[in-house]
Amino acid sequence: MMPLFFVFLLAPIAVAIALYRRNPRRFLDGPTEDVPLRLLRWAIGLLSPQRAEWGQAMLGELGHLDGRWRRTRFAISCASAALVMPPWGQAAAGLWAMVAITAASFAIYADLTVHYQLGAGGWFGVGGWIALTVVLLICVGYLLAASALLRRPGIALPGLAGGLFATLVGLALSGFTAVDQVTYIPAGWHRGVAVLAVPAAIGVASTLWRRDPAAGRRVARLAAFSAGLLQLLYATVAVAILGGGGPPDEDGGFTVRGTVTDRLANNIVDLMVSTLIIALVGWAAAALTGYLVRRSPTPAADPFQLRGR
Amino acid sequence: MQRNRPPSPQTGNVLRALAADPARWRYGYDLGTEVNLKSGSLYPILVRLADRGLLETAWEPSLDSRPPRHLYRLTGDGRDFVAALTVARSDRRATHRRNRLSEA
Repeated sequence: MMPLFFVFLLAPIAVAIALYRRNPRRFLDGPTEDVPLRLLRWAIGLLSPQRAEWGQAMLGELGHLDGRWRRTRFAISCASAALVMPPWGQAAAGLWAMVAITAASFAIYADLTVHYQLGAGGWFGVGGWIALTVVLLICVGYLLAASALLRRPGIALPGLAGGLFATLVGLALSGFTAVDQVTYIPAGWHRGVAVLAVPAAIGVASTLWRRDPAAGRRVARLAAFSAGLLQLLYATVAVAILGGGGPPDEDGGFTVRGTVTDRLANNIVDLMVSTLIIALVGWAAAALTGYLVRRSPTPAADPFQLRGR
Repeated sequence: MQRNRPPSPQTGNVLRALAADPARWRYGYDLGTEVNLKSGSLYPILVRLADRGLLETAWEPSLDSRPPRHLYRLTGDGRDFVAALTVARSDRRATHRRNRLSEA
């Protein structure tokens, strides 16, 4: 539990330091830009390079609008257009892959809910349906966040590759069978690898590859979302294979419905925790790498060679 | 490949608003207000029209500290397109009226 404790303790401190370093005046004088401008700036960053002029057009128009409500409405509307405006290029393939993975997880989850009548259990007899709705909301949230990251230039491929890498390492540690999935309890160095080494490797590698800590942080976030959704699919398939069977052999007093519910709930907790850890540790590693690379002195040019040219 | 699908009612409204005074450059926000379209719907329409060569764009130089504004007006092809659209629309109306009369 110790690495987890450190992650959750240090992450908010790291975020606060990063925000302060980016713009110290924000803490002294309040926000220097209003929310609509920041929202629109973020949204037009998602546009493909050939649509950059249209993003500037939206910004220019916002610059001539007065009134908070008017500006907010304009910015929200433009941001929604920028989010979906084609062309998407390679990002479209990545998004469709993630949508397919999420749809498969949700379909299996819904099938298990119906098959084991999980919908009839829990709070007021509708707990299973509430859980299914929560899963849907979480997955849609992940997809929306991932779609914004996928549209950033040069993020899709390393982000999805990072997610696949984290998933494969996680499966290699836990084991690939359905039983491994439902009985795995990480301990010792396994936890260190999954919680620290892999996310940090993603953050460091992406920052060095793209030579940009901001890109590294985005890659880490996309890797976190894609790894979370991939792991959810694998774990949900494992529950579908085992159902209420499999270990533990001794009946702990659970009904089949209770066992399946418990396993599915564990998957959802794992989804959120693993996503958070990869995103936070990867983000911190990318930021640290960027800082160290910036600080490392560039080799001085040889004056004799320069004179000889 | 260019599609010959008729434009949506919203696109038609934008085209007609631009064609009302084709020589005049228009701002995006004012155009949206005139045709009652939110910016999230207006800008994709403007992008499509510009891609098809029906819309001309320019930048208005900034006079103060505010950012420059994008301006829009129809190209020659855009004006021809609106004219053809108006003719097709009136033909459709006439045909529709004739059909209704013959049914009666």
